[in-house]
Amino acid sequence: MPPETSGIADYSALLLPELRRHLDVEIVKRGAKRPPRGVDLVVYQIGNNPDAHGWILDALRRVPGAVVLHDFVLHHLVAGVTIGRRDGHGYLDAMEREHGVVGRLLGHGVLDKRLPPLWEVRPEEFPLAGEVLGLARGLVVHSRHVEERARAAGYEGPIARVSHPAWPEPHVEPAAIDGSPLIGSFGNVNISKRIPQLLEAFARVRREHPGARLLLVGAVSPGFDLDRRLQRLGLDGDGIIREGHIEERRLWSLMAACDVHVSLRSPTMGETSGTAIRALTLGKPLVVSNVGWFSELPEGVALKVSVGDHEVDDLAAALRLLVERPEARERMAVAARALATGEHNVARVAERQAAAFERIAGGVAVADETLRDVSRAAAGVGIASGSAEASEIARRLTEVGLGD
Amino acid sequence: MRIAVLRPQVPFARGGAEIFTDELVDELRARGHDADLVSVPFKWYPGTRVLTQAFLWRLLDLEEADGRPIDLVVATKFPSYVVRHPEKRVWLVHQFRQAYELDGTELGQFGPSAAERALRREVQELDRRALSEATRLFATSANVAGRLERSTGLVAEVLPHPPQRLPYRSGRSAGFVLSASRLDRAKRLDLLLEALALDPSLEAVIASDGPDRGRLEDLARGKGLNGRVRFEGRVSAERLAELYATCSSVYYAPVDEDFGMGPYEAFLSAKPVITTTDAGGPLDIVTDRRTGLVVAPEAAAIAGAAAWLREHETDAAAFGTAGKTLADEVTWDRAIGRLLS
Repeated sequence: MPPETSGIADYSALLLPELRRHLDVEIVKRGAKRPPRGVDLVVYQIGNNPDAHGWILDALRRVPGAVVLHDFVLHHLVAGVTIGRRDGHGYLDAMEREHGVVGRLLGHGVLDKRLPPLWEVRPEEFPLAGEVLGLARGLVVHSRHVEERARAAGYEGPIARVSHPAWPEPHVEPAAIDGSPLIGSFGNVNISKRIPQLLEAFARVRREHPGARLLLVGAVSPGFDLDRRLQRLGLDGDGIIREGHIEERRLWSLMAACDVHVSLRSPTMGETSGTAIRALTLGKPLVVSNVGWFSELPEGVALKVSVGDHEVDDLAAALRLLVERPEARERMAVAARALATGEHNVARVAERQAAAFERIAGGVAVADETLRDVSRAAAGVGIASGSAEASEIARRLTEVGLGD
Repeated sequence: MRIAVLRPQVPFARGGAEIFTDELVDELRARGHDADLVSVPFKWYPGTRVLTQAFLWRLLDLEEADGRPIDLVVATKFPSYVVRHPEKRVWLVHQFRQAYELDGTELGQFGPSAAERALRREVQELDRRALSEATRLFATSANVAGRLERSTGLVAEVLPHPPQRLPYRSGRSAGFVLSASRLDRAKRLDLLLEALALDPSLEAVIASDGPDRGRLEDLARGKGLNGRVRFEGRVSAERLAELYATCSSVYYAPVDEDFGMGPYEAFLSAKPVITTTDAGGPLDIVTDRRTGLVVAPEAAAIAGAAAWLREHETDAAAFGTAGKTLADEVTWDRAIGRLLS
């Protein structure tokens, strides 16, 4: 929760008031060793940032509970709570637990600095989510992508897929920035946000549409030489507008000024983009990478660009389409708003999340009692465990979710 | 076509859903279909009994009967739609309301413990899965359809059905207010009795029965209404039609009702309806100062409405006639045509 600064803190602050309409919620702050007494369920918001979530993982280790899994790839988190705390053995154990001897050897390579940090170069291959999954009594995820990866990793507990809530439309004036049209990209300026590909594609489009401008908002990651790239592409004139880290209100104002939003990602940690959700609220057409959660956005709100050899070509084509066809932008804007006020409506999301938490908290007791009742009735008429009739009953229970 | 109409049955209880399903079977047969009623007892307490009793429906094999296929099933209220069938049509009377809008009210069922909260959610999950299997999904009123969409995201077509068959007719008002609602708390007969207590000129006839009858009779006695309210219990079809024909207005003010046959029965007798702003389904057809009076759920407002309709016979007759035009549109021919299309 704020004053922590993370996308997940923003998410929690947005959702909490609506969630409290359904549940009694107590907030556990950084530094607490134990959850409050008498609670039915402890909920852990877990993401990949060790600074924000290391202490939450520590708490989960002490008391298992429901996990809202914001990222599936947790390698950076695990590295932070092991290597970052001078516990190299802990890192090696985590790598071996999930990736066997090869994982341990790779871990040694990282510790000895013979290999680059795996959480930077190959995180999606080594997600290290196993410990969190093992401790979770149930999961809440935002995407089919994360649900499928959790199942593929062998997680057998309940999983509820609940969309990320959308912020209500703020009352802000769009920033006075020209651009015909104005294309915006919000977030860290780095490789994984596909900024090199975006700059190259935009440079092509701008040659045909000199009125178009690109607004890049966010801090430049260390080692990413933005200025040199702009210079090489001939974008160092007035085609690019730069803003660094900004306050929330200014963020909304800049987002509102844009005609098109670009939200690219690869690799994905399984995350949902808070800025893409904000773009939906504002009714902005999106261009996204065809990966993870982004690939699950309805076709009507986002043009999806595959990562790979033709990425720049496809990205340029998508931008060109939206630059040249304002009516397409308008159609997508209507669809985006409908998605924000429908599927991502904060009240609806809170209701679904409350349902998920209540099922995780008491679902096992309900399932046990239900199955006991059915089994007793079956046994009473001579249906033996393992018989064809018992299998039929089990199948019917599963069909309607009573045998999960 | 061979059609099974599915009805959960609470033994010894009979209400609108029972009348509706009985008549649906009759009307299907009258149109040449081989229709039958399939009924399973339902008990929703204690604990997880609501789920295990619902699950009974899942174990039924209704794909054929006696070696002949059943072409289509029509599920009606919770939990009959848990049944499996390749042509499962749902004409939704209501979900298990204790798991939805009645939760947390005095009519709710699930307590605050983690197990009971989870049980409520499991009922909702069962609904979501079972109803999403339907090949067509209808709801008896906009209120029922709205609740369904809010709770599950599923969209139902609104398909009202005609009320019970009675020898409906219209007659001169004898000045009393009629209630034919089943006597349980949700129908809010208390409000009518309190209205009578406020206005000594009002009289009422209550022509129904139910678990709340004793309490309501005590309440009437306590308020000194003897002689001005008459509990006739369940009456014959002929007597009920006579009461409809001779009342000045019909009181029908349940809380957030699903559908409500009462207004249709009143309108087929060309009588205006008094209902409340929170009545739910009846508001589909009871419109203030067009087919009746829609007032706040307060005794004084109901007393005022009843007195006004008794004293303004021309307006009351006009409201009743307008209502009849609406009720005449809801026919079995149309309803069955859509149900089977």
